[in-house]
Amino acid sequence: MAKSIFIALREGALEGELAPALTIKDSVASPFGFQVFDHVLCQLFSSILAGKSPSRGLIVVSFSRSPSFYLELLKSKGISVASSDKRIQILDCYNDPLGWKDQLVESGNFRAPSHEALISSVVTVFREVKHMDKLFNSIIELGRGLVGGGKIRFSIAIDSVDEMLRRASVSSVARLLSNLRSHDQISSIFWLLHSDLHKARVTAVLEYLSSMVASLEPSHQLANGQRGDLENFSLIEHNSKKGKFHVRFKKRNGRVRMMSEEVHIEQSGINFTPLSSEGAINQGLVPKVQFNLQLSEKERIDKANVVLPFEHQGNGKPLQIYDGRRSLVDSKHVDAVENVETNEDGGRGEIIYYRDSDDEMPDSDEDPDDDLDI
Amino acid sequence: MATAKTRTSSFSRNLSAAAPSLGPGLKCGPNGTVFLSSGIPDLDKILGGGFPLGSLVMVMEDAEAPHHMLLLRNFMAQGLVHGQPLLYASPARDPRGFLGTLPCPAASKDDKSRERDPDQEKGLRIAWQYKKYFGENQINFDGQRDGKHEYSNEFDLRKPLERHLINGQRIDCVSIQDSSDLSTLQDRCDTFLSQLPRNDDSISSAGRIAIQSFCAPQCAHSIMEWEMLSFIRSLKSLVRSSNSVAIITFPPSLLSPSFCKRWQHMADTLLSVKAIQDEDKELAQLLTGYQDMVGFLNVHKVARLNTQVPLILEATTFSIKLQKRRYLVLECLNQAPVDGSSGASYGTSGSCSSSSKTGNLDF
Repeated sequence: MAKSIFIALREGALEGELAPALTIKDSVASPFGFQVFDHVLCQLFSSILAGKSPSRGLIVVSFSRSPSFYLELLKSKGISVASSDKRIQILDCYNDPLGWKDQLVESGNFRAPSHEALISSVVTVFREVKHMDKLFNSIIELGRGLVGGGKIRFSIAIDSVDEMLRRASVSSVARLLSNLRSHDQISSIFWLLHSDLHKARVTAVLEYLSSMVASLEPSHQLANGQRGDLENFSLIEHNSKKGKFHVRFKKRNGRVRMMSEEVHIEQSGINFTPLSSEGAINQGLVPKVQFNLQLSEKERIDKANVVLPFEHQGNGKPLQIYDGRRSLVDSKHVDAVENVETNEDGGRGEIIYYRDSDDEMPDSDEDPDDDLDI
Repeated sequence: MATAKTRTSSFSRNLSAAAPSLGPGLKCGPNGTVFLSSGIPDLDKILGGGFPLGSLVMVMEDAEAPHHMLLLRNFMAQGLVHGQPLLYASPARDPRGFLGTLPCPAASKDDKSRERDPDQEKGLRIAWQYKKYFGENQINFDGQRDGKHEYSNEFDLRKPLERHLINGQRIDCVSIQDSSDLSTLQDRCDTFLSQLPRNDDSISSAGRIAIQSFCAPQCAHSIMEWEMLSFIRSLKSLVRSSNSVAIITFPPSLLSPSFCKRWQHMADTLLSVKAIQDEDKELAQLLTGYQDMVGFLNVHKVARLNTQVPLILEATTFSIKLQKRRYLVLECLNQAPVDGSSGASYGTSGSCSSSSKTGNLDF
């Protein structure tokens, strides 16, 4: 099921569509957002390298972690960046987000440390995180530098939107994300969010802007948030290794797919397993429904085929009036079960009548009209 | 194009003059209102004719589904088909691009359901004893006027609208993303509506305003809640005194609850669309046709201008379906038929449903 996220991100956007966007949402109660983010990043990058994706490169905008962390991460997964043919670029918003070090260097008080050649070929430092439009331009520039211009697409991973929201307004961040999604060259984009750092509206905005929302929740809810209680201790310990992973997919046809899995954090990484207990609770509203009083095509045809009791006389045969005491004379199949009456006319159509209760006497039907032939 | 006056009560407004001559795509309704079509024939029927001129329609979006775009597309395409001027505002950088996705009117198909066979055998099935009287009772069915087709079209969502309809029209597109306040949008609406003043003479043309995702987060004005509210207020009064209909869609989850309520009260006609969950077994058991549904449409309020009598709807929730993936239809929700032959037919209690979800449906 987490696979479906990877597939959606890997497939990317169709022509004329907004790029699929994933929000990974976590909270203090189950703080595995970073691990999930790393996992998604490695998966996406390996499929880009393997050529399975229309996306030809990956831009990582790193706010919360140093770029060298990502290079180490990829190396530990066996993906060598040096030989990856320049498929990844990292926009470093971590080391000097507001340009202070630059200013210090200029004033002569600071000697900037030198980086090794690999890092500087992959990493570009960005110094103006307050300006979202400049960030947008840098991302696009970096992407174009990576894959070329034209129609070739690339993917974007944003380390953490929280850092962006620290310094810029919600609407400018929203504008950046929606412009990225609607850009021709962006194949897919995903970002991380810590939901308890923001007001509810901010989370709602980011969910509005994304096409998939993956949220991490603790397996066991702690009672009243008490942390010091001995009983809760084992729960806390439990929660520090496991959690629930819920995904809401907005599909193209307008339906929403909800899926859940369990997630385990281990030394080697992260594992997704299907839920042990039964699945997601249906939270959709159950609207007020009515009985279907309309007929489908087949039902209408069948109904038209039935010759109603008052119709088939007057054709020359002697008239018969039912007096309520005889059973049907001209019925061809009389069911052994007493409480089923059928009115069959040459196999054209049937009226099947089930009696409501057993003790209803046949004679207790209302007086039939004279012109009915039952 | 005036239709016969429908009298719904014994008290009806005496129109002293003859009904005003109306341009294409408009029809007279009760109480002196003039309707224009929403582009979805089912919705017109539900609302009692269409959107009345001078009303403000608001659609509450669902953040998880793009169904409000379906409503907007049909609304705008209907206006272009009738040659009505259009103002479209959206948070996209280039709103003109959306015009390329407008659907084309479907070729009119043979309306078998509208034909009335004058032959006696079809139609009513008369008891044989009364057939001798049949000749006297000539049941006369009003043939469906061709005029009805002109008022409201069915749109084929797979075919794009012809380019000449988009290029040759008075279409004004505004992007609401970049401007820091609403003054540009306000000005454009002002100029647009000043061309369509209301007077008692004939109405040659009516205009349509479509504002999509009005409080979308990427717009700079999205945090200025009071300003947005006063914009809606002034738009509503401008629209009321002109020959036009305005439709505004907005995602209510992005507004604070009190403003959400205020906006809902501003609307003359209030609709909301909801996403439907995929592969929901309980819902599939409960409703017929669940597989074809793409969403739900709720009608919260229906505009009643010039009257005190509200329109009471039989049902307020409808399912949105795409017939043959092309035509948008709205249907009442129907309970899935309960298999009557299963279980004992005698000795059952009076409950109408044998499914486990009797909670909501107990009678």
